[in-house]
Amino acid sequence: MAQLVSRRYIAAAVAALLALGAVSSCASPAPSGTDSASAAASSSVTASADNPFGLKDGSVIDAVVFDGGYKTDYVDFAGQVLQKKFPGVTVNVTASTEISAEMQPRFVGGNPPDLLDNQGAQTIPMTSIISQLATWDNLWAANTYEGVPIKDAVLSGVKETGTYDGRFLVMPYVMTVWAFYYSQSLFDANGWTPPKTWDDALTLCDQAKAKDLYLFTWGKEAASYWKYLAMDSANKQGGSDVTQNIINLKPGAWSDPTMKAVLDKFKAVVDKGCFIPGGAGTQFTQAQAQWSNDQKALMYFTGSWIENEMAKATADNFKMTAWPALVLDEATAKVPFAAVDAGASENFVLPAQGANVAGAQELMRAMLSKEAASNFAKSRLAPTIVKDTVPADGFGSTALASTSALLETSGDNTFTWAATNYDNYYGIATDSLVLWNSFLSGEKSVDDLIKGEEDLNAKAAANTDIPKMTWNV
Amino acid sequence: MAHHAAPGSLSFSRRVARLRRRATFDRVSFLAVFLVVPVALFVIFELSPMVQALYYGMTNWRGFSATMDFVGFRNYVQMFSDTKFLISMRNSALLVVVVPTITLVLSFAIAAVVTTGGRSIGRVEGLKGGGIHRVVSFFPYTVPAIVVGLIWAQVYDPSRGLLNGVLKAIGFKQFQGFAWIGQVSTAMPSSMFVIVWSFVGFYTVLFVAAIKGIPAETYEAARIDGAGRFRTAIAITLPQIADTVRTAYIYLGLAAIDAFVYMQALNPQGGPDFSTLTMSQNLYMEAFKGGNFGYATAIGVVLAAVTMAYAGVIFVVFRLLRGKDDGMRAS
Repeated sequence: MAQLVSRRYIAAAVAALLALGAVSSCASPAPSGTDSASAAASSSVTASADNPFGLKDGSVIDAVVFDGGYKTDYVDFAGQVLQKKFPGVTVNVTASTEISAEMQPRFVGGNPPDLLDNQGAQTIPMTSIISQLATWDNLWAANTYEGVPIKDAVLSGVKETGTYDGRFLVMPYVMTVWAFYYSQSLFDANGWTPPKTWDDALTLCDQAKAKDLYLFTWGKEAASYWKYLAMDSANKQGGSDVTQNIINLKPGAWSDPTMKAVLDKFKAVVDKGCFIPGGAGTQFTQAQAQWSNDQKALMYFTGSWIENEMAKATADNFKMTAWPALVLDEATAKVPFAAVDAGASENFVLPAQGANVAGAQELMRAMLSKEAASNFAKSRLAPTIVKDTVPADGFGSTALASTSALLETSGDNTFTWAATNYDNYYGIATDSLVLWNSFLSGEKSVDDLIKGEEDLNAKAAANTDIPKMTWNV
Repeated sequence: MAHHAAPGSLSFSRRVARLRRRATFDRVSFLAVFLVVPVALFVIFELSPMVQALYYGMTNWRGFSATMDFVGFRNYVQMFSDTKFLISMRNSALLVVVVPTITLVLSFAIAAVVTTGGRSIGRVEGLKGGGIHRVVSFFPYTVPAIVVGLIWAQVYDPSRGLLNGVLKAIGFKQFQGFAWIGQVSTAMPSSMFVIVWSFVGFYTVLFVAAIKGIPAETYEAARIDGAGRFRTAIAITLPQIADTVRTAYIYLGLAAIDAFVYMQALNPQGGPDFSTLTMSQNLYMEAFKGGNFGYATAIGVVLAAVTMAYAGVIFVVFRLLRGKDDGMRAS
């Protein structure tokens, strides 16, 4: 008996230990390596106009790139562009889908990659690595391969969203526009026009219902896209203070009257049954296919990566077209209806302890060359932050052409709060996602939603481990 | 050591001398292989991470640097005012109560039927064709948990899923767009169903093996005394395989406390209103999404404590139910 019991206790105890060990064995802190200055110095030579960061001949550049919708070979391509200038340099690009878990031991051990694309579902929280990153200031001051100052060669807003506590730490590469996407061909065939206001949307919803279709759809992992619509809408209707206050965690920001008015209209859309039911139980790419392939829903609010993401699940003759976010009333909106939320993503960071910091900066300079940026735009059908790389016909893509046209029309009215990723930064994105799933299911009232978001912002504000940001975007 | 007539009578120095004399190569190598190596492995790979975890659980480590501050029991205090953590604990508790119970009741019923549910004259045997059922019911267990989860997520899909398709086809139109794992009322039961589905076959086979070990005379005697199939299952089969049931209950309970793979495949964000969020998922989110490695480690410590407490409770319950008679059994 005693032996029997102890044997099984051990089995149970071992299982418990495994549960306990699981988290602790992830990584253990090791002593820091050399400091950034000396590490950089050992792998660099004197800087010159042609070699602004002092990249050493024969050195190796180690880049880790998120392997998502954009794949990773665009960095390989930039590596080849770099090698034309520096034939002796080797560029190693490693694809990763689990950035956080794979990079953790390298950061803790003091041997992070030289260049890291911190993107995807497993993004490293910025707050965890903020003190271990070098700034992009040197790159910002340098010229492109075409001889133009980099800060003039890229679209505006890049530095603002990438600046943390006064330090320019994140160099995004891809321009993302938040917009509705719909099939122009489907709309033309039915004589529909895309809505400008929430009331227009309700009307279009009726027209869709008459054909046994729905206006919108959503998937459980991507309910936040609709939060972005609500915030963009409030931003346009009430001015950028509305969203600015939210991302800067000002108490009561979600209770703003404009925000509430937008959410009331949104609730009317939900309650009318304009969304395909069951989104909270639908995988998001399945939900997106209901729109792009089945054409059961007319419009989808998302980022401009959508064409690339759904390339294999888009119906023939689906002329994917971009359209700005809704306003309450065009006449009183503080920001014109045509304005869009556009910011850069695919966040490249520069670990200060990388063995070849100069190489990482040079590789990013190569990525920002016209040649590499045009290659990206053409092969991924998405614009980079480099200006003037997309022709008017969008390489034959209606989505890319209309997205670029939106950006152009939006001009100086473009706003970029979404690119701050404030909810990820403060670690409240999942909680918010869950709230929005319930709201879109019709299970939460506007007041519940506002209270839920207020509570999350209060929780973030109270977390003393995360430095508070003041974004001015 | 059994041949030592009276070890207690030897003086200490003589005992030491005897041990030293017996420190032959055989003895030393035996100790090294069977004691030193396993203990060393256990200390290095089990105990030291555990001690480390206790320490990290009392820091504000954010996971990517070598620096952290010691914060004492702050993480533990925070945990018990963290509604998400409390919800996850409730969900894990629910899983541990429901999943093993349903799984084992079903497994036992199937096992009893396929081994002793056959015709009531002649040899005691299972239902005709029971062998096929035994094999088929084992199938789900051969599919990896992640695949099970992903397949069922598709089956449950509101618009294109198999389940709603079948329900609509047989006339239940109200299931058009019904989100099985997307609404609070059905998310947890639907997720539990998947876990039960994947485990029933394995435990059926386990119970069948245990039942085969019961002497046929016992069943014949019961039958002569007039016991029916149900009575036989409850009064003969169940008590005879109680040890197996207990072990099965513990293993299943541990799987249910975790349930990480199934839940992550079905509802990676924790389900509607976090209704399917488990403690392990919460730990994972805090660590890898939130960067709160210190807090996540503290959750891991609590998870380990809960797991051990669970095993302890099961032992006490079975002990109370069965008295001390199992001490006489050889198995």
